[in-house]
Amino acid sequence: MRRSTTIRAVAFATAATLAVSGCTGTEQQSSGGTDGRVAFLDYGDFGGGSNPQANYNPYLDATRLGATDYVFEQLVVYDKYACEAKPWLATEYAWKDPKTLIWTLREGVKWNDGKPFTADDVVFTYELLKQHKALDNTGIWRYLSAVQATDAKTVSMTFGEPGAAAFTLFGEIKIVPKHVWSLVDDPVTFTNPEKPVGTGPFTVKAFNPQQLTLGRNPDYWQADKVQVDELRFHKADGGGQVDQLKLSRGEYDHNGMFVPDIKKTFVDRDPEHNHYWYPPGGSISFYMNLTKAPFNDTAFRKALLTAFNRQEIADKAQLGYVTPASQTALVVPGQAAWLPSDIPNQGVMGFDLAEADAALTAAGYPKNGQGKRLGKDGRPIAFTFRTPGEWTDWVQAGKIIVGNLTDLGFDVRQEGPTPQTYEADRAAGNYDTLLGVHGGSCNMFRNFQEPLASDQSAPIGKKALSNFVRWTDPRTDQLIETLRTATEESAQKAAVADLTKVMVDEVPMIPLWYGAKWFQYRTARAVGWPSEDNPYAAPGDNLLIITNLKPATAAK
Amino acid sequence: MAYFARRFAFFLATLWAAVTLNFLIPRLQPGDPAEAIVSRIGGKGQAVDPAQLEAVRTMLGAPGGNLFEQYVRYLGAVFSGDFGVSYSYFPYSVTHMIGEALPWTLVLVGVTQILSFVIGTLLGTWAAYRRNTRVDSVITLGSTFVGTLPFFWIALLLIYVFAITLRWFPERGGYGGGSSPGWNWLFISDAFQHSVLPGLALLITGPIGWIIGMRNNMVQSLGEDHARLAVARGLPERRIAITYGARIAILPNVTGFAIALGSILGGTVLVETVFNYPGMGRLLLESVSNKDFPLMQAIFLFTTIGVLIANFLADILYGFLDPRVRKAENS
Repeated sequence: MRRSTTIRAVAFATAATLAVSGCTGTEQQSSGGTDGRVAFLDYGDFGGGSNPQANYNPYLDATRLGATDYVFEQLVVYDKYACEAKPWLATEYAWKDPKTLIWTLREGVKWNDGKPFTADDVVFTYELLKQHKALDNTGIWRYLSAVQATDAKTVSMTFGEPGAAAFTLFGEIKIVPKHVWSLVDDPVTFTNPEKPVGTGPFTVKAFNPQQLTLGRNPDYWQADKVQVDELRFHKADGGGQVDQLKLSRGEYDHNGMFVPDIKKTFVDRDPEHNHYWYPPGGSISFYMNLTKAPFNDTAFRKALLTAFNRQEIADKAQLGYVTPASQTALVVPGQAAWLPSDIPNQGVMGFDLAEADAALTAAGYPKNGQGKRLGKDGRPIAFTFRTPGEWTDWVQAGKIIVGNLTDLGFDVRQEGPTPQTYEADRAAGNYDTLLGVHGGSCNMFRNFQEPLASDQSAPIGKKALSNFVRWTDPRTDQLIETLRTATEESAQKAAVADLTKVMVDEVPMIPLWYGAKWFQYRTARAVGWPSEDNPYAAPGDNLLIITNLKPATAAK
Repeated sequence: MAYFARRFAFFLATLWAAVTLNFLIPRLQPGDPAEAIVSRIGGKGQAVDPAQLEAVRTMLGAPGGNLFEQYVRYLGAVFSGDFGVSYSYFPYSVTHMIGEALPWTLVLVGVTQILSFVIGTLLGTWAAYRRNTRVDSVITLGSTFVGTLPFFWIALLLIYVFAITLRWFPERGGYGGGSSPGWNWLFISDAFQHSVLPGLALLITGPIGWIIGMRNNMVQSLGEDHARLAVARGLPERRIAITYGARIAILPNVTGFAIALGSILGGTVLVETVFNYPGMGRLLLESVSNKDFPLMQAIFLFTTIGVLIANFLADILYGFLDPRVRKAENS
């Protein structure tokens, strides 16, 4: 393994050098689509491993091709940046009572084989996931108890308990046609290879393991908003050196991959057209094992809030692509609407070692004569900090974290196990401190329940589901329960506000930076991509993006 | 006859051991394929959704029964040619995935192996025939020098010069997106274009082992008594070199060649990775990194069986080529 890492590093360095040292860009074809539309856009890789096979089963997340995002649609589409639900196959939804949700479906929607889309298809889809647990990726049937069609345009969902907390999950299930899928023997192994039938803006035009072409669906229910005739995907090396070279040559109109020094290798090569936007995803946090001293002391954890140089981590270890994270566990600025108003600076903590030092001393952890930080037992505090050794950016961040802690007089040893060992130890609670990822989704219940609910924890030595720090607090559980059952937005916001206060006041973990969502785009052929100035969608909200793109010439 | 029977029994015993180890080793590895799949979907900066993990576990299905029952079922499946469903290409079967990748490797690596062996043996013979002349120094020193260069460096250099700077050949892949696999001229010429650089990379480094081995063996055998006797008897130099030197010197290389052909099935991970070639090496690398146990097991099994069969055939061939071996075993 070591050898191949070196090879990749060298290959990578070479490619980077090549990219910088002047390879001529390919000639751009001017857009020549029908009716002034963009003839085609090149979206780069289409997933499915090095030898992709036709697989348009929208529920097989690990192996389906990215094309399914454009063929199938859901009842509502979430703008995952601001977390707003946009009406899609459903025009409206309303809670009849906390356990009953009524959907009104859009009129005039057709499957791409010409058959009409009806409430039967929606009911069939949800029943399909009930019968086949392997397809229920988000676990919606933990909450649902029945889905029924009241008439051809109305679907009613009933829940065992008030269901608002899981709303983001069941609104975003890809709806499949009953007249096709009801004939399938085993939907779990169905690859839907020949002309997948969906309601979406594109259909599969051609596929081989090297190239996938999607064609515009002229009968799409909002066809006037789709200004692109064709989407092309090419097999590349999934963000490796070839992909980076092609990106820098301007061969992709859009891609989403990690690129070192994006400004030099991409933007500077065509500053007019080459752009990127890396909005924040989940929080990457300093996890302390709360079953061990001194981490079980709230005053101790609180004192560490200003101990980390988050800006330096973002700038140096993360190449300036990310921003420091808010202590509230919310993703700011996208989810700022959920913040309580009295939290300064959106909950992003500053860096002040002197303040941390004073707070630690006041909490009963003074430094001794040699500058060593002492525990309550009077002995120097020593612990380990881990990141997977292969994840170099995390290792770099770890060096800054350990440096900050060492400056405070702690005796910290950094370790770099394999990702497998790291994850197993984190789940079993066999660690002192390490990095963990949580939140970042549009489902506020999940954002807090997964890392903080006591039912997601487990005794040390047993695998915890997602509460790896082992935070057990009756009040937190109660707030999460309130959030789960609240149907009114004001009640949800109140519960979230109280949970952010738990994060700030009791510090179950210390968020440091946000994982970035990679998104590069070119405006040579199409404009209207989401960006920092116009964040109408997050990268990956493909239906929203494709219905907002316009030909580049028309914009000028 | 006893020699061949003994060889065959040995072959069967090794085959059983290989199949059994192949069953055990993946099961001793730490890590959960379902977790590997889910964390690959999200990427390392994203939180893992426990519900998705549950769905993927249901999709893959848990192996039932104790280790021994699993072993018996596995043996049955192996002999009926059923290798199960690939985890990383679910729901496609392992056999299907190998069927897609195998032709690429067989053609690219197979052709270059044979060419390497032929070129290497000829160059080695020539160097030994003209030993201690300028030809010998150029061939021996040249191949030693090229042999010290890392393979991936040569491959990257080829990509840089011919694909990126000159743009004569594509820099990656087995074929372009414009053609679809099949027996049509467009695809075949496209695939050929794509195979030039990886083939060249293999041909630059491939013959070196054969050159050195052949030259050294032949120089040695030309120094032996029977060759010197032939010189004393005034036989033509060329005839001595071919019939007395090369014929003996080629024997160890034949074994080596058989093993090399056997290991083709495992692909050449390095060359296929550097050139993104859709063959067995890439598939193997991918299955290992994704904890795709069924696929990994099948590729390892095929490689092992390939090497074993090649070894067995080499043993048999050796028995014919070199009577001394047969005799030694019989006495």
